Amino acid sequence: MKKNRAYLGFITPGFILYTLFMIIPIIFAMYYSFFEWNGIGPMKFVGFANFQKLLGGGRMSRIFFNALGNNIKYLICVLLIITPLQIFFAYILFIRIRGHRYIQFMLFLPYVISTSIVGFFALMVFHPNIGLLNSILEKLGFSKSAWLGNPDLSFKLFVIVVIWACIGNGMMIFNANMKEIDESILEASIIDGCNEHQKFFYVVFPQLQSSISTVITLSTIYALTMFDIPFMLGGVQGGVNNSIDFVNMVFYRYAFGGTYFGETSLGFGSSISVTMFIIILVISLITRIILRKREMRF
Amino acid sequence: MKRKRNIHELNDSRASSITKGIISGVLILYSFIAIYLIGLSFLNAFKTRSDLINNTMGWPHKFVFENFRVVLIEDNFIRNLVNSLVLVGLSLVLLIIVSSSLAYGIAMFEFRGKSFLQTYFLVGLMFPIQLGILPLFVIMTRLHLNNSLLGLSLIYAANLSFSFTVFSKFFHSFPKALLEAARIDGASELDIFMRIVLPVTRPVIFTVALLNFVMIWNDFYMPLVFLTKSTLKTLTLGIYTYTADFLANWNKVFAGVTIALLPIIVIYFFFSDRITAGLTSGSVKE
Repeated sequence: MKKNRAYLGFITPGFILYTLFMIIPIIFAMYYSFFEWNGIGPMKFVGFANFQKLLGGGRMSRIFFNALGNNIKYLICVLLIITPLQIFFAYILFIRIRGHRYIQFMLFLPYVISTSIVGFFALMVFHPNIGLLNSILEKLGFSKSAWLGNPDLSFKLFVIVVIWACIGNGMMIFNANMKEIDESILEASIIDGCNEHQKFFYVVFPQLQSSISTVITLSTIYALTMFDIPFMLGGVQGGVNNSIDFVNMVFYRYAFGGTYFGETSLGFGSSISVTMFIIILVISLITRIILRKREMRF
Repeated sequence: MKRKRNIHELNDSRASSITKGIISGVLILYSFIAIYLIGLSFLNAFKTRSDLINNTMGWPHKFVFENFRVVLIEDNFIRNLVNSLVLVGLSLVLLIIVSSSLAYGIAMFEFRGKSFLQTYFLVGLMFPIQLGILPLFVIMTRLHLNNSLLGLSLIYAANLSFSFTVFSKFFHSFPKALLEAARIDGASELDIFMRIVLPVTRPVIFTVALLNFVMIWNDFYMPLVFLTKSTLKTLTLGIYTYTADFLANWNKVFAGVTIALLPIIVIYFFFSDRITAGLTSGSVKE
């Protein structure tokens, strides 16, 4: 075959943009994390001091671990509640339950709504003074609740809001996977008299491996970079007593909001990014090993 | 026409069809939450201030456009609207040009390092852009692209892993013989791409544009970081400014939400199947 170099023309723009704005920043985050730097002045090499400050047990470290704890708490909710719910919804859409087209349309709908509007809807429902729930409680003669202002409740409400807003994507991925299952196997199982439980657990579920791996990877990344919804619900400090503070919000306060801590440190901010990078890497490796997948199927 | 028989109902015992009925009933009730919240926001946008206070949850006594006037003109939401439109438009044009030609170049040509590049461009799916946002911020500042709609749209165009995957899948099954024939006829590579390939790629381009429209129009984090000047703020940031001081902006926020939400609802109403199909096409095995 004739040498054809035309591919260079097609690839170069994408390669430059992607490398400059996606790959180099991740590499530089690792580099910065070993320096003390406020973004303007000279950079000072400090070795692992930023990581020491982040993980070593000081005040910053307590804030970080509280936030990371929330990320992990949320991740556990993903594995125990959200993913099973997504599989359940995907299945009832798959077996074409009555009204399934309408139900699919409505379950996925919140996914296309901006998080700032989701946050606004949450305020409409949970606002202590003018929220819908409190006005209902008041009419029924009960006392009002602080809802999101109550640190014991806020995390649970946050999970409910996320379920409402974000369940659609994973649900549709599972649903697409179910539609790929060989119809003759399904028909055979039905003719053999499988009931709904048997059909789900013995025929459908074992074939969901690839989508389970995909959805868990996507949800893990989402869980560890959680920002928008807690920011809307609890403000930049992550709610009362930091009850819905997440690592990405700690990062944002430190990296871009010098006003919150009185200083901006790119080095320290980067050490948070690098730590998250490593955690994402480890968790997705574990997921892949557990699900024994040889390749990610995106 | 006879309704297609649902084979899944074949062995349903009485109990199981009742259970299914209950599940579908519960989910239909659940769907009213979304309808109620969206519908109430739209209705409240048309209420007068006093109507809103006395009658928060009901039908407006009189439809007025006062809130929209205040929000769009006095609070300059029209600016946010234009910013959002410009940002989405620029980003989509850049993203589609860059990611379609990239996927085409990798799928249709044989060269060394091809399989490395295929993996290289998928890294963005594993590691979200947020992880590199600080150095990215430094790069953007150095290039004088901070606080610029063009600058942010370049970032959205660079975040191309997903669109790249969708295009790659399509080009993978594209008949290469067609290209060879055109080459023998003496067509230039650019001609082949523009005249032969792109026209048949139109449905895929539409899907990619649709998904990224929703993503960029709704994005909050990137504009929050990269568009700090008040004249450059997008609709999502405008809404956030209102909700951050909810009680003070109580009468305006509904109109703001209506302006930001209506385009998305309309698009979703017409294209929901393509949106869900497109999202999953990038993530389930071939």
